[in-house]
Amino acid sequence: MYNNMGPQPGMPRPPGNPQPGPFGNPFTGAGSGFIRGGLGAYGERILGSSSEYVQSNISRYFSDPQYYFQVNDQYVRNKLKVVLFPFLHRGHWTRISEPVGGRLSYKPPIYDINAPDLYIPFMAFGTYVVLAGLSLGLNGKFTPEALNWLFVKGLVGWFLQVMLLKVTLLSLGSGEAPLLDIVAYGGYAFAGLCLAGFSKIMWGYSYYALMPWTCLCTGIFLVKTMKRVLFAEVRSYDSSKHHYLLLFLALVQFPLLIWLGNISVNWLF
Amino acid sequence: MTKDFAVPPVVFPPTGGSSGGANVQQRRFSAIPFQQPPPSSSSQIPFLSFNMGSAAASSATHAGPFGGTIASSSSFGGGGGSPSFEDEEPLLDELGIHPDQIWKKTRSILNPFRINQTVHKDSDLSGPIFLYLALCLFQLLAGKIQFGVILGWIVVSSIFLYVVFNMLAGRNGNLNLHTCTSLVGYCLLPVVVLSAVSLFVPQGAGPVKYVLAGVFVLWSTRACSTLVVSLADGGEEHRGLIAYACFLIYTLFSLLVIF
Repeated sequence: MYNNMGPQPGMPRPPGNPQPGPFGNPFTGAGSGFIRGGLGAYGERILGSSSEYVQSNISRYFSDPQYYFQVNDQYVRNKLKVVLFPFLHRGHWTRISEPVGGRLSYKPPIYDINAPDLYIPFMAFGTYVVLAGLSLGLNGKFTPEALNWLFVKGLVGWFLQVMLLKVTLLSLGSGEAPLLDIVAYGGYAFAGLCLAGFSKIMWGYSYYALMPWTCLCTGIFLVKTMKRVLFAEVRSYDSSKHHYLLLFLALVQFPLLIWLGNISVNWLF
Repeated sequence: MTKDFAVPPVVFPPTGGSSGGANVQQRRFSAIPFQQPPPSSSSQIPFLSFNMGSAAASSATHAGPFGGTIASSSSFGGGGGSPSFEDEEPLLDELGIHPDQIWKKTRSILNPFRINQTVHKDSDLSGPIFLYLALCLFQLLAGKIQFGVILGWIVVSSIFLYVVFNMLAGRNGNLNLHTCTSLVGYCLLPVVVLSAVSLFVPQGAGPVKYVLAGVFVLWSTRACSTLVVSLADGGEEHRGLIAYACFLIYTLFSLLVIF
């Protein structure tokens, strides 16, 4: 299935302890103003006095959120095309890295179509909630409490997707990708769900054609992305285990997205 | 056992206006234990005085630094006479509600084609509260009791817009939450109009309601995104992205109105 095995020539392996997070540290980078402002008067005191150890550990797991919002219109359009029609993406799937201050880090999303961002997942999630409310209303079952439950259901679905990706990474011996990267990859599934939901509102039967399409496309997108992530993160390369896990990832998309796309008042079906 | 301090005698002022000033002064002196009579010169730094109107000004010149607070406290202290009632601020000013400012801001959003941005420079939350109550009122007339829901959604959506705008704007984004909530609240005006109008739309006309809602939501979105981008730095190149976030917020509110 995957016949371009072997080390890619263009992708340098990050040295030693990979911290492939973005440049900057959440406490001193661009997002720090936001975090400090959010914490009010205590922000300076809490964040200013944290030790170097704590800072480095937190920054490894929770990278600077500012990086994921450096987007523009063109990036959003192209990324949506990649997520919804991944087989049409002619270029390579690796992220462009650049050395910043002695460490290797990835270019922000404006410069690199393969970089994850958090704007599209958040907006796709919001659109999913709104479309779900619309379709509930068109069936006459709209109440604000039902919409709140749908919001929570969407959050649980996103969390399950993130857990799935994280477990995939962990089972191969390295869970060191930044958490926000995984959250971003998990959230891209909502873009396909929005497309399916929109088509359900427009014409009821097209949903049954578009839903498997969405699952397939999300599966392909996640497989191609995770293949690169695995390649960058995992030290040993065991091809058959990788293949089975990636296949499992693609297959699990089907029940997960069908559960999320089935918009009704109760939780399961 | 003898008292250590002399309890000042309490003198209730007669109900006359002319002698009120002198009596306020007298009570002022008598109500302050341990204090030496304040110096007659008014050149000291008036660290507790504030302007309460002309009645207070005439008596404040005699008083010195402590005059302001004591005069106002004397108004509820002793069932005060008329000058201490006049010394108070008008109620609306004290609450921070300025009706003419609210009306100016509301009128600036009523015109869908040209939005006056300078009026919104100082943000207040009392206008949004009025608009929220108006929306709840119209929903109540439609038979839906949604006070808590609408308030919760306003809070959540203003936090959402605040986060999205500041993250997109990057290092120089300076939207603060008060301004954000104020703008989201004022731009709810078209949704309020929608809920008023939809009271009169007949029951079976489905598509009419959707088209109407679409028009009002687009109006809201345009107003909100224009105001947000013009009032805070850093949002110019992300107009479309921010407009989409505003669109989501107002579609959510219009769902409450339509269904």
